Amino acid sequence: MGRGFVLLVAMLLAIAGCAAPTEPDAAGVSEETVVFGLSSEPDTLNPVLGYSPDGGSLIFDGLLRRTPDLKLHPALAESVPDAVGTEITFTLRQGVTFHDGRPLTAEDVAYTYNQVLAPENNSPIRGDYAAIEKVEASDERTVVFHLKHPYAPVLQRATLGVIPAGSDLAALGNAPVGTGPYTFTSWTKGDKIALTANEKYWNGAPAIRSLVLAYTSDDNARATRMAAGEFTATELPPKAAARFKDQEGVTVHETPSADYRGIMFPMKHPVTGDRAIRKALDLAVDREAMVSAILAGAGSPAFGPVVPGTDWHNPAVTGSARPDTEAAGRLLDEAGWKAGPDGIRVKDGTAARFTLMYPAGDSLRKELALAFASDAKRIGIDIQLAGLEWEAIDPRMDTDALIMGFGTPYDPDHTNYELFHSAYAGQGYFNPGHYDNPEVDRLLETGRETADQAAREKAYHEFQQVISDDAPWVYLVYLKHVYVVRGSWTGLETGIEAHEHATAGLLGTVPGWKPAP
Amino acid sequence: MAAVEATAGRRPGRRPVLAVATLAVLVLAALVVPLVAQLDQQLVDLRSAGLPPSLAHPFGTDEVGRDVLLRSIYGLRVSMLVGLVAAVVSVVIGGLVGLVAGTLGGLVDRLLMRVVDGFNSLPHLLFGVFIVAMFAPSPTAVVVAVAVTHWTTAARIVRSEVLSLRGRPFVDAAISGGSTRARVIRRHFLPNLAPHLLLATVLMIPHAIWHETALSFLGLGLPPHMASLGNMINDGQRSLLAGDWWSSLFPGLLILLPTLALSALAQHVRDRANPRWRSELVL
Amino acid sequence: MEARAVTWLRIIGWRLVFSVPLLLAVTFGMFVLAKASPFDPVRQYLGDRAMVTSPEIMAEIRANWGVDRPLLEQYTTWLGNLLQGELGESRSLRLPVTQVIGERLGWTLLVVGCALVVMLAIGLVLGTLAAWRRDSWLDRALTGGAFATEAAPVFWVGLLAIWVFAVSLGWLPAGGLTDAAATEVTFTGLLRHLTLPVLVLAVSQSSWLLLYVRESVIGVLREDFVLGARARGLRERTVLVRHALRSALLPFITIMGARVPELVTGVILVEAVFALPGVAGTTIKAALAVDFPLLAALTLLATIAVVLGNLLADLAYTLADPRVRVLGVS
Repeated sequence: MGRGFVLLVAMLLAIAGCAAPTEPDAAGVSEETVVFGLSSEPDTLNPVLGYSPDGGSLIFDGLLRRTPDLKLHPALAESVPDAVGTEITFTLRQGVTFHDGRPLTAEDVAYTYNQVLAPENNSPIRGDYAAIEKVEASDERTVVFHLKHPYAPVLQRATLGVIPAGSDLAALGNAPVGTGPYTFTSWTKGDKIALTANEKYWNGAPAIRSLVLAYTSDDNARATRMAAGEFTATELPPKAAARFKDQEGVTVHETPSADYRGIMFPMKHPVTGDRAIRKALDLAVDREAMVSAILAGAGSPAFGPVVPGTDWHNPAVTGSARPDTEAAGRLLDEAGWKAGPDGIRVKDGTAARFTLMYPAGDSLRKELALAFASDAKRIGIDIQLAGLEWEAIDPRMDTDALIMGFGTPYDPDHTNYELFHSAYAGQGYFNPGHYDNPEVDRLLETGRETADQAAREKAYHEFQQVISDDAPWVYLVYLKHVYVVRGSWTGLETGIEAHEHATAGLLGTVPGWKPAP
Repeated sequence: MAAVEATAGRRPGRRPVLAVATLAVLVLAALVVPLVAQLDQQLVDLRSAGLPPSLAHPFGTDEVGRDVLLRSIYGLRVSMLVGLVAAVVSVVIGGLVGLVAGTLGGLVDRLLMRVVDGFNSLPHLLFGVFIVAMFAPSPTAVVVAVAVTHWTTAARIVRSEVLSLRGRPFVDAAISGGSTRARVIRRHFLPNLAPHLLLATVLMIPHAIWHETALSFLGLGLPPHMASLGNMINDGQRSLLAGDWWSSLFPGLLILLPTLALSALAQHVRDRANPRWRSELVL
Repeated sequence: MEARAVTWLRIIGWRLVFSVPLLLAVTFGMFVLAKASPFDPVRQYLGDRAMVTSPEIMAEIRANWGVDRPLLEQYTTWLGNLLQGELGESRSLRLPVTQVIGERLGWTLLVVGCALVVMLAIGLVLGTLAAWRRDSWLDRALTGGAFATEAAPVFWVGLLAIWVFAVSLGWLPAGGLTDAAATEVTFTGLLRHLTLPVLVLAVSQSSWLLLYVRESVIGVLREDFVLGARARGLRERTVLVRHALRSALLPFITIMGARVPELVTGVILVEAVFALPGVAGTTIKAALAVDFPLLAALTLLATIAVVLGNLLADLAYTLADPRVRVLGVS
């Protein structure tokens, strides 16, 4: 039997030998195949069914495109029209063809948008285009958007990738054909998507000929594969990216994002309905510790729903990253919340106690909720945590607080209108706290319907001030997205990113990347 | 556990001192420590996050600064409690089914045995996942999930014991003496079944603990901020590649130790047990 | 020869007959559970988008899917489609179910197949070794190790393996199926990526086999004919392999079939820890997304796997001992 044993050991050694680390694949850093390690694989590559509607899809172009500084530029359209009134007209650029050779016409654009709006397609992004009644192609090169009401932010929606008219939506989702800088080569489900540069791209062929999008949902696995040299660039949670900070040949980019997390309070609850409680909590939160411990430094304190760094942000609305428990205590005392025998404050017989829910699968929100509850304990407010599935959260949103997150940097109308306008009170995830302030309503309506940029900015600045005074939310942090990139490249541009960023965001600038000389 | 019945080679008579001692220490810790060192399940200390093991924190701290040792003991308590309840529930259900099948016999017996075989065909964790995923994750859901997939063992044990009891002379004597079926069951069957049921429960506990931790690890067990061994390993996974090994290692050890101790104990019991019992201890 | 063929046909026949009501009951049970579940498949389908989608649109999608139709109607519709070979479309992945399973089943089977081979090797070799050198330090180490791996949760062992081999030593990758830069699957890439998952799965499943083989071999070694063989001067190896192992194999096969559910459980956890794109990992996601069509198909698959396992065990039993007539379920 000794022989059998030796054989087994030999087998194991052989396997281990094969598994000895090879040199990092040269292809990972050459200008030939660039590999991006991404976290969540799209379900479909069809923009109509939700693939990368804000741009950066690499396979498709929209009527307009966005540069990292958040400005809109013409893409398939010749110029950026004015978003005035209920009819918006785009004129298409000439000479653009799809990857299969078909020329682009207005019919394709109309088809794309109307398919999104068609109820039977169950498009997950249909809600974003609710302001559009229909889109029609008035001639070969002209597209007209018919809106239900004047809607200045509609241009932000024109970054949606355009698909060929008449395409079968499911089939296109697996074998996409677009007009974008990269053509689709293959998709190994659960593993990777391979793209090739479009030599005939109307804006010039990209320098990187071959691009692979590799999907590893587990953050730790992705970090390991990056360290092993398998990826050219990847996005990682801040803690996992920390090990790359001082490595040679590797650059860590931290980009700001409009993605925020905060506590939504139900207005009808006896404790959270009291403004003093909310303002006191706002003062007691240790945002600095949250950023450094929970976000590993990749974030910034948040004081409102509009991210600093954009024109929309009101610089007067700010706060302190460190907690001020004394001021919070004074505020509560003045409002009649006096400390009881067990340390929890009481007012008129009601204890300062409420439940804070967080979605069970989200570890970031869980940690933020834990930190928030600990901070609240220090000023005598007792918060009970409840980690629940969304279905269990839904019916409780008007009685319990919830840690939520939103944020797009493109236009403050979406989603602040839905979150704070009284008309949306209690509608699903829109205004779940039943916030009702006529002044806020007025400001949001002005912002939505006016076309004048200066007037809109003024309205939204005032909106932020009112929200800060009223504190229907306590904002905690803005997240930063952390990218690790191997090699030196030109053409990398960072800007403020949205929540859903996959290949939008930093990695979406890849068509403009060239190896640094 | 299947391992138990496969160790006939061991010399019987050796006392499982180490196993009993380990078990005693763990149970004692799980009972006593929560009384002495209260754990506020919601309290974090962000400024002490991610500390390696030291005198102040023998098992280190996790990614939000909570002491791993204290949480592990709390988690152990939860796991043992859930495991115990789930084991008892599944043995009660299984025992009832086995009793009915054995006593009534005939068509009922055959039908019930088909049901038992059916349930045995289900991959345990899969259906545990279905059950817990269908209802909000909670200790109750976990207990239900474990009980539903594990009651068949007790059913088999009880049924075979009942069948063998039925054939015994004292049963005939009781019936001809005028006892009703119910009386026979109560007075004669149950006392003989009790040791089997007890053993089945003890053997089931490690299974139940294992399932609870597996479900928590997948995010389907107890609420994520509560101290549960599976939750802790799940959280620890994120810190693992950053090099923080303590938050994954120690909770796992606390799953390993009681299971190991229990199976060593069970093996000892089996070795000393009536040979007739041995064939039944197949789990 | 013919007698064996007849026996086999009878075994297969009985198994099939008993399987049909089982499969029906299991899939119907799953539908009942899914129907009673508070989880909203539309919400899962929309994912993050659900936060910014109005309730009316969600209600429309729900109506389009027929989620609220009566349970029996949904089940019979599904059954009818199944009999026509139509498994429907996965709601969470937006692909035909057959495609989802087809793309992923192969990987799971590969991992399970390799793990079975390694498991057999470990169990047979180490178990016999332990029996041969009974009560030595080697035996104690192996037995203790087997107990420990049986008691340790497989996901924990997987994480430890990742920490030791991928993080600290850097020998093997921590997850995934292939090196990212390769545009197709290569053999060496697969070998590197599957080594850890296969080993972890095999080791965690082989402890019972090791202990079982050990006991059987010990038992056989005590028997007269072995003593006789030894007395005749036959080499130890011949004694062990030809006599001891062969009689140990018989009961092992039947228990093997009964262990398939454990194997399925193990694969689910290994796929989760190592991020492998197999069918078992998809099951968890499907359960959480309450993806009726995919769930039903996966339930069917898992139950069939177990039935097949038992069937193979029954058939193999007759091979090993032709005197035994095994009819269906014992």
